[in-house]
Formats: sequence, C-alpha cells, structure tokens
Amino acid sequence: MTNRTTVVLLLGVALALAPATIDAGTYRSVDAQGNITYSDRPPQPEETRAPAPEATPVPEVKVPDARPALGAKARDVKASAPPTPIARTGPTKVDELLELSGARAQLVGLLNGLASELRPAPGQMSAKDQASVDRILRQVLRHEAVYALVRDAFLLHVDRTNLEATAAWLRSPLARKIVALAIASSEPGTEQKVVAYAATIKTNPPTDRRVELLQRLDWATAATEISADLVAAVSRGITTAVSGAGPAEQRLRPGQIEDRVAQVRARANGALREAHMASTLYAYRGLEDEELAAYVLFSASEAGRWYNSAMRKAMVSALGRAVDQTAAELVRAVPLDRWRAPRRLRRSR
Amino acid sequence: MTTHVMRALASAIALTLCTALGAAAQERPAADPPSSDLDRAQAAFQAGRHAEALASARRVADAAPTSVRALTARAGMAEFMGEFDEARTFYDRAAGLAPDDAETIYRTASFAVRVGEYDRALTQLDRLLALHPGHVRWLFQWAPTRFQAALLRDHPSLERIVQLKLDILTEKGDLEQARRLARAYAIVQPGQNYCAQARERAGAERDEVFRAFRLATLGQPDATDCIWWYGQWLSDEGYVRLGRLMVIEGSRATASAANKESGVRYVRIRLGRNREVPKRAEQLFLIARQRYLRDGDINGASRLFDESIRLAPAFARPYNYRAMIAADLGDREGALAWLQRALRADPDSWRTHRNLGRLFEALERYPEAEMHLRKTVQLFGDDAGGRLALARVLYAQGKYDDFAKEARAAVAFLANWRAPVPEVRDFLAKFDRWGPGAALPPAPDPHVIMGWNYD
Repeated sequence: MTNRTTVVLLLGVALALAPATIDAGTYRSVDAQGNITYSDRPPQPEETRAPAPEATPVPEVKVPDARPALGAKARDVKASAPPTPIARTGPTKVDELLELSGARAQLVGLLNGLASELRPAPGQMSAKDQASVDRILRQVLRHEAVYALVRDAFLLHVDRTNLEATAAWLRSPLARKIVALAIASSEPGTEQKVVAYAATIKTNPPTDRRVELLQRLDWATAATEISADLVAAVSRGITTAVSGAGPAEQRLRPGQIEDRVAQVRARANGALREAHMASTLYAYRGLEDEELAAYVLFSASEAGRWYNSAMRKAMVSALGRAVDQTAAELVRAVPLDRWRAPRRLRRSR
Repeated sequence: MTTHVMRALASAIALTLCTALGAAAQERPAADPPSSDLDRAQAAFQAGRHAEALASARRVADAAPTSVRALTARAGMAEFMGEFDEARTFYDRAAGLAPDDAETIYRTASFAVRVGEYDRALTQLDRLLALHPGHVRWLFQWAPTRFQAALLRDHPSLERIVQLKLDILTEKGDLEQARRLARAYAIVQPGQNYCAQARERAGAERDEVFRAFRLATLGQPDATDCIWWYGQWLSDEGYVRLGRLMVIEGSRATASAANKESGVRYVRIRLGRNREVPKRAEQLFLIARQRYLRDGDINGASRLFDESIRLAPAFARPYNYRAMIAADLGDREGALAWLQRALRADPDSWRTHRNLGRLFEALERYPEAEMHLRKTVQLFGDDAGGRLALARVLYAQGKYDDFAKEARAAVAFLANWRAPVPEVRDFLAKFDRWGPGAALPPAPDPHVIMGWNYD
C-alpha cells in the first residue's frame, strides 16, 4: 500500500474512540480566529498558530478506574496531540462531540484514502479523462461537505443525556489519551510496525486478560461491523453507478446490487476480524489493562452504545451518499469503455 | 489497523470495480449472423433479451401480416412476456391464416390453458385430434392401454393432447378423472414408485421436479406426503392455484389429524384461504415476477402486477412484490403502503406480516416491527428466520431476555435442519459473556422448509 493510500477507513474503530486511522497526509491547523481546519497538505507558516489553551477544566470522568497515569509502554508511544477540548459554555454541540472524538479528523483521512483508491493509476486513461476524474473527486469528496452530511445525519439520533455523558467521557484525560494513541497508530509506516509487533507477540504473547479486553471492546463498539458497513456503502455506490451506466440488458436490478454488496461486506468482515486483534494490540499497547477496562466499560454503557450506534448510522449514511454521487459523476464524465481494469487487479494478474 | 482496513476497502473497491467493469465490457460470443429480421428476433429471445426480441417480433409481424411464422413468433413472445391480449390476437390471426396447422392449434390450446380458458382449450384439442388420420384417431380413442404408449410415441402430437388434458382436469380439480386418463394412456404405470423418484429429484431443475411430482400425484393417489410436498413446492414456485389443490388433496387423503390441521393452516396463511385467484391473474403474477427478478424490467413488471391485482384484489403476493420493487428503489414508505394494502387484502398472510416486520425493522420502527414479527411466528411457529428477525427487533428495543429466548429457540430449531447459523451462535455466546454490545444481532434467513421460502 502506498503512502498516499495509507488512509483511514477504520472509522468503526476510530469513531468508537479506538485506534483512529488518520491519513499520513492529514494535517490539522487552527487559524487566527481559532477555526480548526483539516487538510491533506501541511499548514503553511502564515496560516498556523498554536492551539489555544483549555479555557475550562476537564470535567470529572464518569468511568471508574479511569486512571490517567501512563505506563512504561505508553511512554514508548510517539506523543501525538489529542484533539483540543473545546471550551464549554452550555450544552455540548454535535460539532464539539465530533471534534472531541476525532471523528472529524478521521473523516478527512477517510475521504483522502477513498479518493486515492478511486483515482485511476497514471496511464490508465487519457490525460483529459484523468483530469475530469480528479476534478470530480476534489469536488464531491470535499471534506467539509461530507462532514456536514455526517453532522446532519448524526443530529437525527441525538439523545441529550447520552450525548452529555459521551462528551464528559471524551473530555476525560483517559479518553484524550486514547484518541492520541489512535492518532499515533495511524502514522506513516504503521503497517510495518504492526507486522513487526505481531512477530513479537508470538514470542511474548499478550495476557488472556488483554485479549479478552480487546475482544470485548470490539463487541461493545461494534468496530468491525461499522468498518464492514462502510465498505458495503462504498461497494453499493460503485456497483449502482457502474451498473446503471452499462448496457440495459446487463444492468442489475436493485435487489441484485444488494446481493453483491452483501457478498462484499461478508468478505470484508472476515478480513477485518482477522486483522483486528493484532492491530488493536499494537494501537493500545500504551494503555494499561485498567485503562482499557475503563474504556470498555464506557463503550458498553448506555451512552457508549448510543454513541457508537449514532455514529455508525451517520457515517454510513454520509459516506454512502458521497460515494453514490461520486461514482455517478465519474461514470458520467468518463464512460465505462474508457476505464480499464483497476490497477490492483492488473497487478495481481 | 489502518492499513488492514484500507486493504479491506481497497480489495472491496477493486473487486466491485472489476466485477462491474468486467460485466460491462464483456462481449457476447459471436453468433451466426441472422438470416432475417425474424431470426434476429428469435436470436435475441434465446439470448435472454426478451423485451428487445418482442419489439423486433412486433416489427416483423407488422411488416409481414400474412406470415404465420411471424405472427406465431410474436404471439409466443407476447405470451412469454405476459402480454396476453396481444398474444391472443396474434394466435388468432395465425390460426385464421392456417386453420389446419397443427403447431398453431396446439400453441393456441396451450395458451388457453395458461390463461384458464379451459373450454376453449378443449375445443382446440379436438381440432388437433381431428387432423390425424381416421385409424389413428380410432386407436387413440378406443385401443387398450397397452397400445397407447407406442401410439403416443409414434404421434407426439397425441401425447401433447393427453398432457394438456391432464393439466386441464387437474387444474379444474378433477384429480380422479385426470388419474384415470393418465392410466388409460400409460402416462403412469402400475407398480411404479413415482414418489420415491420425485424425492430423489428434489433440488434438480425445476421442470424435472415438476414432472416428477406431477407423475407421483397422478400415479400414486395414496402417496399423501408426496402430494403434500408437491403442493408446497408449487406454492414456493408461485403456482398458487395448483398448489392449493394439491395441499388440499394431500390433507384430505392423509390419515394424520395433525397433518390435516397443518394443511388447513397452510392454505389459510400461505395460500389465501379460499380467496379466488383467477388463472390469468396467477400467470400474470408469475410472469411479472420473472420480468422483475430476471430481467430487471421494473415498468413492465409493475404493470403486470397491477393487472394481477385488478383481476384478483385479494391475492396478496403481487402487493408484496410491488412493495419489494418500491423498497429496492429506496421508496420505503411506498413499500410500506403496498404491504399495508396486502394486509387489508389478506389479513392472515404470513408472508405479508413477515415482510412488514422486516420493513419496519429497517425503518427502525421497532414496536411495529415486533408486532408483525410476533404475528409471523404465531402464524408459523417453525419460521426460524422470522424468529431471528423478531429476536433482532427485541434486542434493538433493549428487551434482552426476550431476545435471548427467541434467538435460542431459532438456533435450536435450525440445528435440527442442519442449518447451524454460526454467526447467531457466536453473537449469543458473546452476549452471554459480556452483555449487550453496540451491534444488532444477525438475522439470517435460512431456507430449510420447502413451501415457505419464496412467493
């Protein structure tokens, strides 16, 4: 996988405050007015300033045993800045929640990765067609537009009590630490590090408790399920657009499209489950068991389940709409006969 | 983790693109160039491009109004597509041009059986018989059974006559007369275990299964289980009229009180009790289903479903398919409206309650989903798929004890049918160990009992 495709898709895990999957090329900056911007290019000196210090104390964490202490393993983790808590003057807004959870940042990485996967390899099509594709990807997969879709979809599921409980958790030192670990786990070269780490696991296996905690975390957050849902949404959008653009007698009816999507989802689900343990062991190597247990406890709480459920629906809905539109515009701008087989398949032959 | 997930995404995108683009780019194998427009129409038909074929056949028939072959081709394709009025018109025109053409007469008779015009069909069969030499007719009508097999072998059109008459008698409910006819013409032989042969063919091609069960019904009146399964198989295939007749016959002939009761229930919740479904409405429904599922022809299918509903307003199945089309197109409210109409037409329709429950579940209207899914499993307690759907809805509402009870019942039932549903077992194990999680439980719908899987 190339650097440009080292992106985020594991929104399932990421959005559940598990290891986030930030694109290596995703940058966060704060302008002079305090507005936070995410971009796939580094911030320029004149448009960057240091984040403002917290204006309010961090609320008390409602999760037992959420100890902020860092263990020895944690110190090995490259320090990454967790999202800056937003000053609170009233009820938590959805924007704040998405900011705190890192979801907004992770969405940028996801969209960059998606665009990268959809972009044809050099030489796959004419320069003119390539330019059309690039333009559509830039326009339709625009971060702010898709983020607005996520926010709007999330708003449909807001439950004030659970939202405030989730926000309180997210403002806690432990949650911020987890978000930081998530960001760190998505930096360039993570794949190799996970592989190397997995090799050490064979000689120095994790404790049964550790394994149990991570399995339970996946259960409580439905991280793998969410990731599979997102893969399905992408598959649905592409299949629908390509089928619709093809010859009439070869078009799939909607039910057939869903059958294919279900197959892709099932296949992705299997692959995701297989990768889950090694990846989370690596990502959370900086957490003590007690910290992980506290995280699991929050995730399994009513608020945690609400948050994960609402985020799942919001992300799948927003990403689905974005991909639907992108794929439709792509096949309209560049007819199917001017596309060749995706590079991954050609390479595998 | 990022990279693992991206791999999954990349693979999914590559797979999706390759499948979709590959299908789009696929070239059909070269065929011999058609020698005429009619050949082109028939080639399109054989290739499965039915709408294109019918359009071509219409042009050809319009351009050659005295060509029996062109008129019959148009009529046949129109019949296949459920355009019955058009089919009738062009069969009649062909018959007018060639009143003694055996093939045209036979196809006209077959079409009449398809739309339930039995008297008309019998008249055509008499005409077909009259085309044969006198001695052949005499043998056909008077020769002992032991000569009939050879006679029918030597004169295939005579066998066609017998087979169509068997269909007519059976569909009219006169199974005794049909059995006598089958014996008289050696279609069935004494001492044969047709039922065992039919069971061996379970899972074979549809036509083969159909023929095997039909023979069992004609040749073994005491094989009540076989007749029963034939009825349920027909019900799954959409032949609700014949299916109902067979289930009723199987229930009547069985000695088991439990089976009798089960048959009555099946007819009530699966076949619309005694609600009348004209043959034409049933056939329109069947063809509409094919036009949607096979051809993806939404407009054509919808029109035929609507015509079926007009002819048989109490027939629940076409409403359910209209709902499916609406749901597939993303119009869930429209789908809901169709299902509610179906329920008004037939309040005991197990399938409609099931579809409503699943649709309400998709809409996250869980209390309504629960109500319909509870009704579903109340109507048919062995509906493990419906029970798993109910379990999912209960879980979504936080009714965890009820969820576990229903899910375990379904898992236990399916284990007896060699359908282990490992994903449900895995979910239950985690639930037992860790309590509720964020994801809803899986609700697979394994097809384990013949007669309850399709509409």
